[in-house]
Amino acid sequence: MASSSQFKQLEKLGNGTYATVYKGLNKTTGIYVALKEVKLDSEEGTPSTAVREISLMKELKHENIVRLYDVIHTENKLTLVFEFMDNDLKKYMDSRIVGNTPYGFEMSLVKYFEWQLLQGVAFCHENRILHRDLKPQNLLINNKGQLKLGDFGLARAFGIPVNTFSSEVVTLWYRAPDVLMGSRTYSTSIDIWSCGCILAEMITGRPLFPGTNDEEQLKLIFETMGTPTERTWPGVSTLPKYNPRLPQHLPKDLGALLQSQTREKMELTLIDLLYGLLQLNPDRRLSAKQALNHPWFAEYYQ
Amino acid sequence: MRRCGMWAGGACGGQSTLSITASNENSVKMSDTKVLKILFKSPVTDDMIRYLTNTTLSVLPCAREPRQAYPSPPSSPGAASKRALPSLMTFITRLVRYTNVYTSTLLTATCYLEKLRRLLPRDAHGLPSTGHRIFLACLILSAKYHNDSSPQNKHWAAYTDGLFCLDDVNLMERQLLQLLDWDLRVEEQELCDALEPLLEPIRHDLARSRKAMARNYYHQRNMSTCSSTSTLVSTPSLPSLASMKSLTAMKSLPSLPRLPSKASLYAPLYSQCDYSSATLV
Repeated sequence: MASSSQFKQLEKLGNGTYATVYKGLNKTTGIYVALKEVKLDSEEGTPSTAVREISLMKELKHENIVRLYDVIHTENKLTLVFEFMDNDLKKYMDSRIVGNTPYGFEMSLVKYFEWQLLQGVAFCHENRILHRDLKPQNLLINNKGQLKLGDFGLARAFGIPVNTFSSEVVTLWYRAPDVLMGSRTYSTSIDIWSCGCILAEMITGRPLFPGTNDEEQLKLIFETMGTPTERTWPGVSTLPKYNPRLPQHLPKDLGALLQSQTREKMELTLIDLLYGLLQLNPDRRLSAKQALNHPWFAEYYQ
Repeated sequence: MRRCGMWAGGACGGQSTLSITASNENSVKMSDTKVLKILFKSPVTDDMIRYLTNTTLSVLPCAREPRQAYPSPPSSPGAASKRALPSLMTFITRLVRYTNVYTSTLLTATCYLEKLRRLLPRDAHGLPSTGHRIFLACLILSAKYHNDSSPQNKHWAAYTDGLFCLDDVNLMERQLLQLLDWDLRVEEQELCDALEPLLEPIRHDLARSRKAMARNYYHQRNMSTCSSTSTLVSTPSLPSLASMKSLTAMKSLPSLPRLPSKASLYAPLYSQCDYSSATLV
């Protein structure tokens, strides 16, 4: 049985969306944990982010999803006890910047991380949960090279006809074009776009579409992937924030673009997978299951 | 200090694993999904509120207001007069009006009420206000779990017209989370089971109008074959299913008038903290 006195609070690991995370030591077992502390504001009550994160994560038991061990709920503090992970993908990528030049990972590591990311996402989607905030900071890694999805503060269940969805989700750089244009009927494809952005970022060491606002974000996406039309994406013009006066860009060669930023030779199957994940039209994006069956991952499933 | 236990061995943890519930999806009939959608898209009705009231009352027996048993003298002059407990149905009706809550959020609270009934010991009983607390806590958690934006607890406290203060609301929310062991997931089958009495009339109406439509269709066809001038191609098109849906929903579920303004409700806040009865059950 756990109580807050059972854990020794060690150094601060970071600030999450609505909480502070500390390293902790379980004094009885000697096992390290991550303690996510949520300050409770009496006016708000238990934050809905915490309500969802706990409800969703406590049943999500998968090797590529951070385990939530326990919850300690007091009048003014809520502590989530998570499996401890050594690092996150963002910090790990930053540690590889030499001088001012970012370096991507070796292709074998890119593949191993992306495979694990898609495994975790596939498991969420099978259980009808959308993560809605996939980005390198929320992907935790350990010294064994394992990668796990963390921070389910924005996650949502889907599949029952209950209520509306907000389009104010996912960190800007990893947000899908349909969501940027105000779609509220998104589903699993919202996470897949993020997986595509993260894959490209692991290859080059740079974010693929580093926009500073919604408008610029769409501009960056369309400059590379081409401006969508009713012909390439039926229904696009009915999206709430669709702008018919967008400059028309033709799609660029994504493979050549990324190849110019990495030394290792990119396989054609990798470029094909990137296109599958980064389809502008959400209906044409691969599912996590399909992506895992993609030829680029053949060495894992054969 | 309150805490909730490890769910691995917790008695109140969800009994079925995610993979099992996922496979149940197929057992929900397609038509039920449609009927559920129609129900959720319709405005809140008196029938729904009556159903929620009865479901809440069935969770556990609550003591009656003591003044119904014995007459008591009026309170001393100057003493803060305690607000009379409204009936549960009045309480729910007011909450619905003040918050303009989505039908789906409101009705999904039924699933939490059902869970609670299964969890509580058979001999559990409550105070006169326990039903009110249970319902409010279920509604708050339904709103927080199912919507991307939901009212804060200080707003919920205000919506009770001074019946509960913020501390009351925070406590009932925390207690319900512990009782449910934070498991707020709701499957479609659960919704269908919990809301069956509300789904049945819609299903009935849908079947009846489908029959009527089919009768019309054959009638029209017969007319057109009899008529030498018209051809089969000119068979009048049927009304779309979409327009049918809204028609049936409107007919069977009259809307409840709603109060437009909530501004005046913020005044009686923080006034009456009743710590003695500040338990959920």
